[in-house]
Amino acid sequence: MLDEWSTSILNHDPMKLYRAKRDASHRSVTSKYNILGFISSGTYGRVYKAQSYDEEGTIHAIKKFKPDKEGDVVAYTGISQSAVREIALNREINHENIVALKEVILEDKSIYMVFEYAEHDFLQVIHHHSQTLRAPISHAVLKSLVYQLINGLLYLHSCHILHRDLKPANILITSKGVIKIGDLGLARLVYEPLQPLFAGDKVVVTIWYRAPELLMGAKHYTRAIDCWAVGCVMAELASLRPIFKGDEAKLDSKKNVPFQRDQLLKIFDVLGTPDEKDWPGVVDMPEYQSMKRLDHFANRLSDWCHSRIRATQGYDLLRQLFIYDPERRLTAKDALQHKWFQEEPKPTWNAFQSVPQHQIPPHRRITQDEAPSMMPAPQNTSHQGHGHIAGAVPFGQSHSKPGSSNSFASQSGGAAYASGGAPPSRKKARLG
Amino acid sequence: MVDRATLAQARYDDLQYVDDPECLDFLAIYFANLITKLGKKLQFRQRVIATATVFFRRFYLKNSYCETDPFTVIAACCYLAAKAEESPIHIKVIVAESRAMFSQENYNVKNFSSDNSKIAEMEFYLVDDLEGDLIVFHPYRTLLSLCRKESGTHASSSNSEEGEADEGPGVGIEDGPRYWGTGEGQLELTSAALQTAWSIINDTYRSQLCLLHPPHLIAIASIYLTFILHPPARPDAAHTLDQDHANESSPEHPTPARQPRRSSRQANHAPSHTTSPKKPQDPIAFLADLNVSLPLVASIAQEIISLYTLWDRYKEDVSPEASKLARELTNSPMSSGASPLKRTGSRSESGLASTSGGGTPSAENRDDTVDPEGNYITPAFLSSVLQRMREAKLMDMAPRPVAVNKRLERTLAAG
Repeated sequence: MLDEWSTSILNHDPMKLYRAKRDASHRSVTSKYNILGFISSGTYGRVYKAQSYDEEGTIHAIKKFKPDKEGDVVAYTGISQSAVREIALNREINHENIVALKEVILEDKSIYMVFEYAEHDFLQVIHHHSQTLRAPISHAVLKSLVYQLINGLLYLHSCHILHRDLKPANILITSKGVIKIGDLGLARLVYEPLQPLFAGDKVVVTIWYRAPELLMGAKHYTRAIDCWAVGCVMAELASLRPIFKGDEAKLDSKKNVPFQRDQLLKIFDVLGTPDEKDWPGVVDMPEYQSMKRLDHFANRLSDWCHSRIRATQGYDLLRQLFIYDPERRLTAKDALQHKWFQEEPKPTWNAFQSVPQHQIPPHRRITQDEAPSMMPAPQNTSHQGHGHIAGAVPFGQSHSKPGSSNSFASQSGGAAYASGGAPPSRKKARLG
Repeated sequence: MVDRATLAQARYDDLQYVDDPECLDFLAIYFANLITKLGKKLQFRQRVIATATVFFRRFYLKNSYCETDPFTVIAACCYLAAKAEESPIHIKVIVAESRAMFSQENYNVKNFSSDNSKIAEMEFYLVDDLEGDLIVFHPYRTLLSLCRKESGTHASSSNSEEGEADEGPGVGIEDGPRYWGTGEGQLELTSAALQTAWSIINDTYRSQLCLLHPPHLIAIASIYLTFILHPPARPDAAHTLDQDHANESSPEHPTPARQPRRSSRQANHAPSHTTSPKKPQDPIAFLADLNVSLPLVASIAQEIISLYTLWDRYKEDVSPEASKLARELTNSPMSSGASPLKRTGSRSESGLASTSGGGTPSAENRDDTVDPEGNYITPAFLSSVLQRMREAKLMDMAPRPVAVNKRLERTLAAG
């Protein structure tokens, strides 16, 4: 006969044996990695800088997804769709210009994703040039950054993956000057999807980088939306500020997607109002009637580029990335073949190759974590980035939080960003 | 992909606790059926069901049935597969539907928890055991890329309750030309034949085939079996199929004539076929051009047939299509195994059967496939087998692990 122990397991906790076995063989995050400090936080969770305890002692960025809480009790509530995407897609891809996922550790109801570490990102580089150096990014660096970005994007597209959230904060750069596209939390495999893309996520891409077909309410979209975002990023690198800095109209109480009037006006102001000749499909767009009510603008991209990207071919690349008709917009493949990349200065694999050492953007700063969960004891991390100004904001909508107990807390990233004009959509931080 | 040794190793522990090793194969069918049924209830697309089944099989490469609760695992697999295939559903729905289904009398699973967090916790361990490999490739894609519906037969899309061949490759939002955009080099099949191939692929998930062979070979094996059920219209092409097969395994035996059987099959399945063969296509050349190992394809086909033989003894609410396929395939000349000697024997037999049986071969074939003892394996029986396995395992574990578990709990509480 079965004893009480067995019966109770069978009836109340049928996975007990399995769980015990698994938990016994589990190696915890803190046993594998030394958490050096806290980098940033966002809606998804928090990012830490960590060093592995193995011989190489490699530096990593560990992204800890927030565990869901029901009241005060942390409970399993299922892995979020974005975590599933990021885990699934990262297992399939491997490319020099994409942030590599080293491992996923599932522990204590939280998901830890261990990524390769990148010292910089586009947003930080832009900020460094606009605030510290007060000088534009050099032509050689600009071209290298854009080239590698497109190279990474081409890889994603050839794997049938849409990134859907390209923006400066998501594009990282290693200390060796290699670009790494990060944050695949919104990325999707578009090969024979079972659901239309629109059905899953109503809104994709941060508003300033959102392609016109999305703003016009298109239900179907293609990899051309990523190419538009590349155009926006390239323009931002060249001018050190977002080219189409519109205000986002928020979802109404019924979660309907509103007409993004201001963002479209910002685009039309530079590129002119699209007509049927530029974009035959525009008349079929859901928001076409709303668009017709807007003022009419002429295209002045050439003027815009004149002072910012002096090279004619640079202007031509941007012009083609900003073609309204998604069918005709430059693809990543064609963009990589563009003449601009063939003329001097040629793009380099170390994007900072031509930059004097003292002008290279500062290292990402790390702070003591407010949340006690990952940081066991106060550690001496003050040699990291001491004396530098800005914190870095990797992995999407994130924002540095000032450290609370740390000596250099006073000069941490938050304040610097507020003055640098962080977009409203990124402001998730509670300062102080 | 794994080999049979790995597969055997994975079941080693279970074998200690089961009387008849064959039960494990039936459990494999049983669990896959449960996943399919649960998936249907949740209105999953076929691909989601297939992905969930692959997750389940991969999980049990590392774990044993007797140490786990397969019903919890099934629910977690479905939950995760829905997300991995970008058609998520709420965890509450999964838990409620699973609970409702598993507690039905014929499954007799009483202890399925209504606690969402149990499934969510299982999902965690599942992702870990799957090592994050959540994107699964299925034979359906190969099938639809190699074959297309014969033009002119679109209207006659048959009842597709089991499969979804009619749905085509999902929502076509792909920009740019597809790899095979022109349809050039695709094999035309009648819609009935395409449906058959699709259903055969569905059925392969009842076995471990999806772990042993790459999806494209399973697809090709299914197309191959479809040729047997829906022989191509041109007699010479059909003849080459036989010839080719005969050459493969038994070159010294010339192929006996099987035209009578063929024509009766053809009448059953593909009435439209004879009227529309305007573009002659040679299926053998087609298969040969695929640059895959045909003997390997044949052996996969063989494994599919043995699955049908086994499945025929399993009784749930048996899908009529499945048992029909089982009968037809088990009675086809291929079924008798790779040995050339046995092959010849079976051929003449089936030749006889078809001549004497006239137009109704399936009625006759029945006798061959029913278990000699007339025993059908039922879900309730399998549930009780599983329950016994689990109890036995716990009995073995009970004395020592109490201490182990206490220690574990202490460490958990401390950490």
